[in-house]
Amino acid sequence: MLIEARDVTKAFGAFKAVDNASVSVEEGDILGLIGPNGAGKSTFFNCLTGDLPVTSGTVTFGGTDVTRLPPEARARLGLARTFQVPLTFESMSILDNATIGALMRHPNAREARAKARDVLQKVGLGPLADQPARSLGTPGRKRLEIARALASEPRALLLDEAMAGLTPTEVREAIELVRRIHDGGITIVIVEHIMEVIVSLARRVVVFHQGREIARGTPREVTSDAKVIEAYLGRRRVHHGDAT
Amino acid sequence: MGARRFAFLGLVVLALVYPLLVAGLPVYERLGALVLLGAIGASAWNIVGGYAGQVSVGHAVFFGFGAYSAVVVYTHLGWPPIAGAPIGMALSVLLAAVIGVPTLRLSGHYFSMATIAVAELVRVLSSTFEFLGGAQGLGGPAMPRTVFDLSFLSATPFYYIFLAVLAFLLGLTWWIENSRMGFYLRAIKDSERAARSLGVSAGRYKLYAYMLSGAFTALAGSLYLCMFGFVDPESGFGILISVKMVVMAALGGAGQLFGPLVGAMILVPLEELSNSWLGGRGAGLTFVLYGAIIVIIARFLPSGLLSLFERRPEAPKAKPGATNVADGHAD
Repeated sequence: MLIEARDVTKAFGAFKAVDNASVSVEEGDILGLIGPNGAGKSTFFNCLTGDLPVTSGTVTFGGTDVTRLPPEARARLGLARTFQVPLTFESMSILDNATIGALMRHPNAREARAKARDVLQKVGLGPLADQPARSLGTPGRKRLEIARALASEPRALLLDEAMAGLTPTEVREAIELVRRIHDGGITIVIVEHIMEVIVSLARRVVVFHQGREIARGTPREVTSDAKVIEAYLGRRRVHHGDAT
Repeated sequence: MGARRFAFLGLVVLALVYPLLVAGLPVYERLGALVLLGAIGASAWNIVGGYAGQVSVGHAVFFGFGAYSAVVVYTHLGWPPIAGAPIGMALSVLLAAVIGVPTLRLSGHYFSMATIAVAELVRVLSSTFEFLGGAQGLGGPAMPRTVFDLSFLSATPFYYIFLAVLAFLLGLTWWIENSRMGFYLRAIKDSERAARSLGVSAGRYKLYAYMLSGAFTALAGSLYLCMFGFVDPESGFGILISVKMVVMAALGGAGQLFGPLVGAMILVPLEELSNSWLGGRGAGLTFVLYGAIIVIIARFLPSGLLSLFERRPEAPKAKPGATNVADGHAD
């Protein structure tokens, strides 16, 4: 197992945003984490990356216990991520944004720049490398986040709603990009709202609802699961005949 | 690029010959030295305040350490004051570590407030130590004993000493700017969380920047003492010292190599002129002046004067189309 979360609980006061979740990801897998708003999937995601400390439970990455490690240490072990709302380095060029990622494995700035240029080419930002990053719109920024993460040469890439806010065409292109990244040998964990993305990308899916795992399986199995449908759409009120 | 290089060379030549141009005019000889001293302090501040974006408003604490170290080695050991500079720098690195570890965790204004609190605390404490001359302060050698006492009739030797120190500091800053540390500091300034997700030990790099910045601010303090020969709690640890460093750097352009120097070239003459015109009556006016400048920078020039000369991205007209390529149609 590349990533293994065991009995992870994250409580904010009395409220358990994540309640006893256990998820493992094999090397080379694409795992989808889905669930309605507030299901705890983003919180769980942030427990994996170290942005949030867990209340209880353990997280291991590549056999190393990383439960107490800060995000930067996990990143150096090869766990890369993107953010739901892109955190672009606004004052820098697109190239320099990617260079920050590349500097992790290439301390020499010149080599890091070359690596960054290479990665930008791969995600389709090559021609814009020298433009200021703040000139990018949301789709471009999401792409840049992926490029930055890839430039750090990770073993696993965790995507937090990388496709929210994209048009259908852009979503298809992004799916294509994620596929190519996966083909390059990188394990993917993807938190996503858009069902199309999960169905076309993920091999296995874990469904969260109210901080707990309520289903897991292939995308097809999960989308026909009664509990999942209920979590997304609400229970049909049989006696009153009205679902609202 | 050609114009920039030309401007840079012009500035270097001007800096080298300035004392010759104003030879025999002590006011201007002194002014040149003061501009450079201000630029050293503001450039030192710039490392942590500008590049790393950790706005310390308590750098006077390091300046005072430098100034007092220089005068203390003279008063208590009879050494030339400049010999206190390495001691002040070493103590400042240590102090930066002690202050930095807890306070650099604070973000934005909270860090600034913590640094003010520390500096004010040290200022008040310093006036209670007999060892440091109490509220009266301490003076350096009245008459030069050897050349190492750095006591000169004109300000020109100080000018060249300060110029050498500033050149070294700017060279070091330039080197940092183009190394991994410079990239990481800028990343931390823009988004600490994103930087950490890319393997940047934000806490460690901020601390390094703070210690380095503190060391050179202390050096500025020691040089100040060598030139003025006197320090008391207000001129060593006073909040105006901290504010000056921030305002000079911000006026020229914080986080830019020459920003603090440009700020010093404007602010120091302005301050000297207002002092000589208004004499003692104008003492409080310095604060008014700084307040006005802060307001103007914040409102109209958040990136400082140098941003006016920033290169625009090539072919700005192509931007909307180019963005589309990235957003939609790239393969």
